[in-house]
Formats: sequence, C-alpha cells, structure tokens
Amino acid sequence: MRKVSAISALVYMGLSTLAAGLFLAITLAGDYSWVARLGGSAWIFLLSNIVLMPVVIPAVKKRLGA
Amino acid sequence: MSTTAAKRIILPVEGMTCASCVSHVEEALREVVGVSQVVVNLATEKATVEVDDPQKATLPELMKAVHEVGYKVVTDRVNIAVGGMTCASCVAHVEGGLGEVPGVTRVVVNLATERAAVEYVPGLATLADFRLAIEDTGYKFLGLVEEAAQDREREARQQELRRQRNNLIIAWSIGLVVMIGTFQPYWFLPRIVPEWMNSKLFLFFLTTPIVFGPGRQFFVNSWNGLRRGLTDMNLLYATGIGAAYLIAIINTFWPEAGFGGREATFYEAAALLTAFIILGRYLEAVTRGRTSEAIRRLMKLQPKRARVLRDGQEMEIDAAEVQVDDLLLVRPGEAIPVDGVVQDGYSSVDQSMITGESMPVEKKAGDEVVGGTLNKTGAFKFRATRVGKDTALAQIIKLVEEAQTTKAPIQKIADRVAGHFILGVHALALGVFLFWFFFGYGLWFVPESRLILTPYLLTGMGVFGFALLTSVTVLIISCPCAVGLATPSAVMAGTGKAAEHGILFKGADALEATARLQVVIFDKTGTLTKGEPSVTDVVAMGRLTRDEVLHMAAVAEKNSEHPLGEAIVRGARERGIEPEDADGFNAIPGHGVEARLNGRTILLGNRKLMADRQVSLDGVVAEAERLENEGKTAMFVAVNGASAGIVAVADTLKETSREAVKELQRMGLQVVMITGDNRRTAQAIASQVGIDRVLAEVLPEDKANEVKKLQAEGLRVAMVGDGINDAPALAQADAGIALGSGTDVAKETGHVILIKDDLMDVVAALQVARQTLRLIKQNLGWAFGYNTLSIPIGAGLLYPFFSQMVSPELAALLMATSSLSVTMNTLRMKGYVPPIRRPGHTRAIAQEATA
Repeated sequence: MRKVSAISALVYMGLSTLAAGLFLAITLAGDYSWVARLGGSAWIFLLSNIVLMPVVIPAVKKRLGA
Repeated sequence: MSTTAAKRIILPVEGMTCASCVSHVEEALREVVGVSQVVVNLATEKATVEVDDPQKATLPELMKAVHEVGYKVVTDRVNIAVGGMTCASCVAHVEGGLGEVPGVTRVVVNLATERAAVEYVPGLATLADFRLAIEDTGYKFLGLVEEAAQDREREARQQELRRQRNNLIIAWSIGLVVMIGTFQPYWFLPRIVPEWMNSKLFLFFLTTPIVFGPGRQFFVNSWNGLRRGLTDMNLLYATGIGAAYLIAIINTFWPEAGFGGREATFYEAAALLTAFIILGRYLEAVTRGRTSEAIRRLMKLQPKRARVLRDGQEMEIDAAEVQVDDLLLVRPGEAIPVDGVVQDGYSSVDQSMITGESMPVEKKAGDEVVGGTLNKTGAFKFRATRVGKDTALAQIIKLVEEAQTTKAPIQKIADRVAGHFILGVHALALGVFLFWFFFGYGLWFVPESRLILTPYLLTGMGVFGFALLTSVTVLIISCPCAVGLATPSAVMAGTGKAAEHGILFKGADALEATARLQVVIFDKTGTLTKGEPSVTDVVAMGRLTRDEVLHMAAVAEKNSEHPLGEAIVRGARERGIEPEDADGFNAIPGHGVEARLNGRTILLGNRKLMADRQVSLDGVVAEAERLENEGKTAMFVAVNGASAGIVAVADTLKETSREAVKELQRMGLQVVMITGDNRRTAQAIASQVGIDRVLAEVLPEDKANEVKKLQAEGLRVAMVGDGINDAPALAQADAGIALGSGTDVAKETGHVILIKDDLMDVVAALQVARQTLRLIKQNLGWAFGYNTLSIPIGAGLLYPFFSQMVSPELAALLMATSSLSVTMNTLRMKGYVPPIRRPGHTRAIAQEATA
C-alpha cells in the first residue's frame, strides 16, 4: 500500500510539476508580472494534482495488483 | 450458521454528504476480499454489502474499509444486567459468548457492577441474540440497565444536524457583519455604519474564524480524501473558500500584488461562501432526517411494554421479552404488543397504521391480531404467535428499510455522472483558468466591469486575479451537491408513503418499474373475482316462487361438500332460508344430486341428469343458455319430475374490481385478464369488469409465458395475482404485484406487496410510484439543470457581452438554491395522498358506479 502511494505521488506530482513548469515557460515568453507567473503556476500545480490523483492512484494500484 | 454461506450485511455509515462519498464507500467496500456486491444509499446512510466469503469479509474488515476512506460505521451500545457471574472466568465466558454474536464489535463485562456493555452494529444483532448468547453460556439475562437502548444512529444524525446548525449560526451571524462592513462605503450605509467596520484588518479578524471554524470541515474532509486519492465536493468547497480567503489576505497585506488591491478584498466572498455552503449542508441534513420519518413512524408503533399472564399472574414486561405462546392481555386504548390470535374477549382494533384500512376491524375469539395496532373498545386475551423480528410490523419495517437501501436504475445513472463530475469540474476550472489567463483577459477585460451584486469594480484586477476568480467561481457553481440526494430522498419518501397505505415496494427498482408500466395483467380467480362461487340468479318456473326453488336446491345440497353445493346452501342462508335435513340423499357423480323431503323428490343438476330422468326443460333452456353466456353455471331444479327452475352459480367480482380497472384504463394503461377458464366464461367476466383483452384457457404454468409474450411486444408488464399460485408469472413481470398477502409479508413473491385484498391498492401503488418517479425527475432536473445552466455563466460566458462576472458568493447562493429546491420538492411528498384515496375521488367513483 505504501509502495502504491509513493509511486502514485511520484507520478502525479511529477506530471503536475511538468504542467506548472510548462505554464511558467509560456508566461516567460509573454508580458506577465511575476505574481501572475508564479501564482498561475501554483494554481496549475494544485488543480493538476487534484485532477491527476484520482486517475493515477487507481491506475498504479491496478498495475501493481495491490 | 455456515461460515461460508453468502450473506447480506447492512451497515449504517456516518459522514457521507454527496454522491462522490457514495462512490468512495462503495469502492472501499468492494475492494474487501470476499465482498461480491455493494450498494450505498446516501439518503438512508446505509451500505448494503453482499458477502460471498464471510470468513474473509468480516465485520471488522468492512468497518476498517469504511473508516479508511474517512467515514464511520455507526454502532449502538447497550448495557445489560447479567446475573450469576462470580469470578473473572465468568467475565471471560460472557464476553466470549456475546463477542461471537454476529454484528457485535466490542464487549466489556464488569463483574463488580454485573453489567455487560455491548457495542454492536444496529440491524446486525438484536437484544434477543444477546439474551440467547448470555443464557447459552449459563448466565442470566436480567434485562437492559437503561430504559431503552440508545439509538446511536438517530443520535449521530441529530448531532450532525446540531453541528451544522451551530456552524450555520456562527457563519451567518459573523458573515452578515462582514458583508455590512464590506458595503459600508455604499448606498445609505455610511450614515448608519461606522467607518472602522470597513477596515480590512477588522474584516480579516472576522472572516478568519468563519473560514477556520465552520469552514474547517471542508479542509479536513478534502485532505482526508486526497490522501487516499479521492476527490469529493468538500474539495470544491475547500479550494473555493481557500482561494477567496487567500486573495483577500493578499489584497490586505500586499495590495500591489495584482488581485484588485485593497478595494477588492473579497472577505465577504470567503465568509458568505462558507455560510451558503453550510446552509446547503444543513438543508441536506434536514432532508436526510425527514425522509426516513416513515421508518421512524413505523418503529414508534412497536409497543414498549406488554401485559402477560404467566402462572395465572398478570405481569407487565418488556415487549421484547414476550415469547411465542405467551398469553397476553390488552385493555381498551392500549397498543397490541405482538402478533397473535384472540382467545377470549371482543373488541374493535384500529389497523390503519399497518393495512391503511380507515375503519376499525372487529376482533373475536379465533381472529388474528397484529402487533403495533391499537385496541379501541373492548378488552381481550390473545396468544402470541409471532414475536420479535417475526412480527408483521418488524417484517414491514425490514422490507421498507431494505427497499430504501436499494437504488433505482435512474439513480445509478445519476450516481455515475456525479461520481465523475468532481474530477470534470476541476479539469474545467483548469481549462477556464488557462483560457482567461492567456486569451480572455486580453480580449475582453474592461477595468470598469464589476462582479454581479457586489460593489467591486475590477479596475485593479490583474490577469492572474481575474483568471483565478473565474476559475474559483466555476468550482463553486458546478458543485452537484443536490444530485446525491435527488433520487434516494424521493425513493425514501415514496416507499414510506406507500407503506402508510399498506403498499410495500420491495426495492427502488420495483418502484421505478411500477411507475413505467404500460400493461396490467390481472389473474381472474381470486384477484378480480372473490375466488369462491356464490348464487347469482334464481329462476322460478311453474308454481314455485324463487325462494322456494332456492330452498329446494339448498335442501338437496345441504350435506354436499362440492363448492357449488356449498355456494347454494350459503346463498339460501344469506336470504334467510334455513334448509331442512333431507329425508334421503343420493349424489349422482358428474350429474348432480337427488334428495327427498316430505314425500317430494328433488333433483338438482345438469341437462344430462334431467334428460336421464325424463324431466322436460321446455321454457327454461333459453334462460339457462343466457346465464351460461354470462359465464355462470346453471343448475336445473326439478320437483316430483317437473321442472321447477334454475339456480345459477358463479364466481363473482370483488366490489372494487370494476372501479379499479376503469381507473387504470383512465390512467392510460392497457388492462388484460388471464385465466384458465374457457373463453366463453372468461369473456363474460371480462365484459362485466370492463376488460377488452382476455387471455383464456391458460394453464397456470403457462402464465409466465404469456407475460413474456407481452414483454416481447416491447411492453412493460405488471402481473397482479396471488403471491403463491402465480409466483412464476409475478417473477417474470416487470412488476409482480402480490395481492392480499395479509400480514405475513416476508414469504410473498412479487416486487410489490399489497397487504389488503383491495384492487384499488393496485391503482394507489401505481399512483404513488408515478408521483415518486415524477419527483425524482424533478429533483434531478433541479440538480443537473442548475449545473448545466450555471457553469457557462460561472465560466464567464456573459462577460464579453455584458462585462459582468458572477462572484464566488453568488455562485454559492445559486448552489445552495439547488439544494433547497430538491429539499422542498421532496418534502412535498409528505402531504401526498394517492388520488384514488382522496375523499372526493372515492365519492366520485361510487357515484359513477351507482349511475
């Protein structure tokens, strides 16, 4: 069970960080304030986590046969 | 008890608030090894678990699974006085014995006080089980220490209601001050509200206790879910409240950050958002409490005490202690404690609470009495025949409870949609944020625009603040909190209302199937008709009067055991004619009977008998044919070799058959009659009752096939019949309606059980079912329709055209409105009376029938 949690966290946190990073990268090309860039990235990270968690955890659980 | 046999366990679960909670609990229980099927009902707060392997899927395992996803299985606790314990090993024995009772979660026996504190899951174990367990280990069960076992389930419900009410009071009282403070510079408020109330710090100190007091539950619950990878509506609330509060803090302490500055702090958004969400929560808790009132009302009928005659002594004991064959006394005005048969005395009993009959029923020696009904006039003694969980009332409660824990097909769809909704909403909020951040703000943002119903201009709002605000509004406005309650609350209200009228639906699926019926098939004998022949016509020929003809026939049949003969004797007695004993009697098999009375020879029988005895039937044959065409059996009477007349016997219609059929046809249903009788007889009865389509000469075993044929035509079919003889057809039908089961409801086949033998209850069952389905559709309409309409508005669809945005608190108000609509709509069922049971309607039908 602990293994499932760790692997799942790694996957959804990784993907969320990627999404937030991508957002930040796009905003760097535009004329945005740092509050918008960092705040936006944090919001993207949070929502991505929420969206990915219930998708990733059962998938990992299924794959590991837990 | 076999440990490997499959079994069903019903667990009361506390803490579920929405459809996604239902999915979480279902999923958690399904994952327990040995569980084959799980159905969770939000309105009853119960999980029905089908266990294939009870050794693996034990109660502690199931409770653990529920606990792990953040919910709790409700347990009850009783303190039992135990006699005969002398040492520590006695304690171990009693603890061991009680601990083995299925459903017991914890036992603590105290030798000093001689008490056993037993914690158990209500419904899985009963007081009788505890008594048996204690007595089996060789000790004495001395009764409960408390007056009655505490109803933890109800207590938990009331505690939740109290908690939400307190939250509501705190959130609203402080929230309104925050709102007044926020609006201080506007309208007439500067004249009556001091300026310091608009201080951002003052608002911060007022809002913080709301967010972390009444609002704390959303953060805690969503975190508990998230840790296990589960998202529910708490998460929507938490992100919404959290984001609004965070913006307010940033604008107070870092006004230049680009969220609108000090003039757009949104404290009132965070405060009112919490207040409105808690209002919704409170309304849902109220609905859950109200809709299970029917069960509570039935439970309240169970008398607490009973007056028993033991060893010639009258003593008052706990009703749960009454045993089969106990002799009980009931005085006028007292409730009958258990089921039984009257031994002595006479009274009238109000049975309306069980059967729905409005008039009291007379009871004399030999009559059955039902526990929970009310003795009106006289006193009587009765012998207990069914006690505890076997009484009619206990069976009815169990049946209604089970029905309320099932899911209607329409609900399964709604649950599936709601289960994926939260995830979809967060994805949508993400999309909305990206859209307004990268495109929307640049294309349409107008600094002079404002939030609907707030004083805020969005002048100082930066791209992040604007996109975040829209995203948060979508989260709040999309919350499908009313969806979870829409169907189960209506099903609970509907099944409860039906039970009040003596109609028991075995499940929500039966209720929905009944509501969608297109064809109703009635079995003829015993359903449309009384099931026993009676004299319908007496035709006199020659010198004898009709009474004399009937008298002669009754004399001939007095000693007969043939149903037709019994009908003639009964018919004569009903008309005040007491037949004498015949001087001689001779049964002629297949033909009739011959008898002698005072020197006269009486013949009663068919044409063949008359022909054999050379009795001329001139003048009566035509009359006989007319009667036979009406489906009646015509029996010729001859006295001293001359034809005297005809006695016609037939199975007659029940008083309400014609009206019930007419009403069903008026409701747009096709009514069909099925019978094993020949076509002519069947047609005659059908035309009397007003049925056009007749399925005649159908053998009992072929009735199910006839139902199947109609279903193959694409029709949704109900079969109304005797629960025992017509079992296969009842099972095959979309809705099998077992009629007149009396009070032994547990053994009945069929999806719908009618306690009374009244066809009008078939109509009432359809009306209640249709009304419930209507209610479900309306509730789902309110819940989903609201979401469908409000999401695009929340996402800023109107902004490019009108420069107006929905504020988070307005979104919360709209969300609470959808919960309120569902609550109010469901509560309408409380006052519902099926049209057929309304006084005006009954009168109209009676007048119509007379006309």
